[in-house]
Amino acid sequence: MNKQIGRRDFMKTTLAGCGGLFFLSSEAKGQETKIVDSRGKERKFVYRTLGRTGLKLPVINMGVMNSDNPNLIRAALDSGMVLLDTAHGYMGGRNEETIGSVIKGRPRDSYMIGSKVSLPQDRSTGLYLEGATMEEFLRKLDISLKRLGVDHVEILYHHGVSRKESVVHEPVLKAMEKAKKEGKIRFAGISTHMNETEVVHATVDSKFYDVILVAYNYQQKHLSEVRSAIARASQAGIGIVGMKAIRGGHRQTPSVQSAAAALKWVLQDPNVHTIVPGFTAFEEMETDLAVLENPNLTEDEQKALQKEASLTSLYCQGCRQCLNQCRNHLPIPDLMRAYMYTYDYRNLALAQDLVLSLNLASRACQDCSQCSVKCSVGFNVPAKIKDVVRLKDVPSEFIA
Amino acid sequence: MIKAIGLMLGIVGFLWSPWAQAADFKFPSVNDWKQADNIQAFDSSTLYEYIDGGADLYLAYDFEELKVAEYQNDKKASVTVDVYRHRTPTHAFGIYSQERFPGANFIEVGVQGYQEKHALNFLSGNTYVKITSYDTGPEDQAVLLSFAKAVAGNLGEKGAFPSLLAAFPAEGKVKNSEKFMVRKFLGYPFLHSAFSADYEVSGKNFRLFIIEGKDQADCRDMMEKYLEQLGMKDKTVAEGQYTLSDAYHGEIDLHWRGARIWGILDLGDPGLRSKYSKLFEEELQKRK
Repeated sequence: MNKQIGRRDFMKTTLAGCGGLFFLSSEAKGQETKIVDSRGKERKFVYRTLGRTGLKLPVINMGVMNSDNPNLIRAALDSGMVLLDTAHGYMGGRNEETIGSVIKGRPRDSYMIGSKVSLPQDRSTGLYLEGATMEEFLRKLDISLKRLGVDHVEILYHHGVSRKESVVHEPVLKAMEKAKKEGKIRFAGISTHMNETEVVHATVDSKFYDVILVAYNYQQKHLSEVRSAIARASQAGIGIVGMKAIRGGHRQTPSVQSAAAALKWVLQDPNVHTIVPGFTAFEEMETDLAVLENPNLTEDEQKALQKEASLTSLYCQGCRQCLNQCRNHLPIPDLMRAYMYTYDYRNLALAQDLVLSLNLASRACQDCSQCSVKCSVGFNVPAKIKDVVRLKDVPSEFIA
Repeated sequence: MIKAIGLMLGIVGFLWSPWAQAADFKFPSVNDWKQADNIQAFDSSTLYEYIDGGADLYLAYDFEELKVAEYQNDKKASVTVDVYRHRTPTHAFGIYSQERFPGANFIEVGVQGYQEKHALNFLSGNTYVKITSYDTGPEDQAVLLSFAKAVAGNLGEKGAFPSLLAAFPAEGKVKNSEKFMVRKFLGYPFLHSAFSADYEVSGKNFRLFIIEGKDQADCRDMMEKYLEQLGMKDKTVAEGQYTLSDAYHGEIDLHWRGARIWGILDLGDPGLRSKYSKLFEEELQKRK
């Protein structure tokens, strides 16, 4: 049981070990190249159609989330990007307000807006709380429209969904329907960055949504499941917008060496119709525009991506598939985080704080003859737990 | 061996670790409200679990720790208190300023706060506090305020706004529009953090800003890189005034003296530019 992950096993469980599966070669259906006036310069940008919405979009658009710079947003639009991705909650609403100041006076058909509204959720379960009502959803939408200075958005996402039950939360569906009827939104979307596979499948099954905004990148350890789910959604006619292509997001180390390669990797999947990377600097925008002209991965980029994808498997990526597998319901992702604090961060105090906060039984992970957990990246979970829970018994004064 | 190294680093790490100070703050007891037993804590590696991609911005402002407490009353109304701790009061002001609407309903709590339906945010020292409520009915605003006061009381010394903000000329300044941008000012990675304030004068909207470098050499480096960005690589860089034509920002008046670079954005009127350059310089002279 204490077998360490050998190189072969390691390679088997990583994307690098999957060889050709890491890269795809088919071209997206309906992909086309358009000549665009990009700040006074003619450039050829690649466009795809966002599923059944029929919206034709450049394959890269702007994630405005962290930008408070109106001139950057203006430059993105003037350069040929079309869709501005924001949310009711970004920067406490200042993000939508900044976009509003930029689009004021521009022809309405020269840009598109994708915004998001969330409702109160139980953070640990991802299920909605009592305050998650249709009225609250619509109230937030109205505030967003006012901040943006528009009477409708092209896509409104049901924001940050991580459970299949929440996908079909009735108050949200009713609110979306009402907003559509009133012309406040053109298409209903859903965004997910945790437990993405379950959410994407549930979205397809719901037959309600037109667009999915999904975390998708080459470092995801549950990548093959996410990719399959995206393919199913795309085949069902749902428009797919990729996010977290570079940063990775949830519990992922920002280890990307080449932002351009990371973006291209997502775009090699023909089922992804566009991506909305966030940028806060003009040089980052220029990188994105260059990919928009030529989204094909070079051989060097492919090699670099495979190498990076392998390295990330050293630590837990938080896929949370283990949570229901442990007979004793141990908080395995937290324990793996404590392991990371110990051996990656070299911060025993932080690791001990975390282990103690979990209130583990005295013989955690000692009494099972066989472990029921099958880690998605092949970690020897019980060995790591047994190792790190020893911190419980070390006097804090000794560590501090 | 790796464990020994880990132990040593852990000892050193803990001595300066914010976790050592985190224990100082205690969530308050509030009359008629019961606090849930579980207080959630997030650090820079787990903030994503709580606020998803919004974490990026908080991390940029040297976020150190978030503590979250939930309260409920007999009527099943609930209040959530998020206490974000940043490395310095300036960083806490920075993230607060990114989310503050100049036209908000401001209140006196901590250094400053504002409230709206179901939400109250305030700044105190190096913490940014966000309080949200659900089903609090007509008492909502009073409930939020009582929580804010109780939390502020437990946070200790409230501190003040960054002193440099006082250098922005008062005439024409849009109240509560001051911001601290921690990096990539103007969208250029070579420009460091900056303070800015919005102005509205005679129907013209513009912005004043100031970058404080580490020293004169640091500012020289920023100026050289900026001129290179604008295709003026060969221009001699010296302290003084520049009027620059930036492809993304239009005409910018820029002044460099010592460890400070300041200027005016989005203002085409040369007369007003000259007036505000002078006003700003006078205020800065007073605060050398």
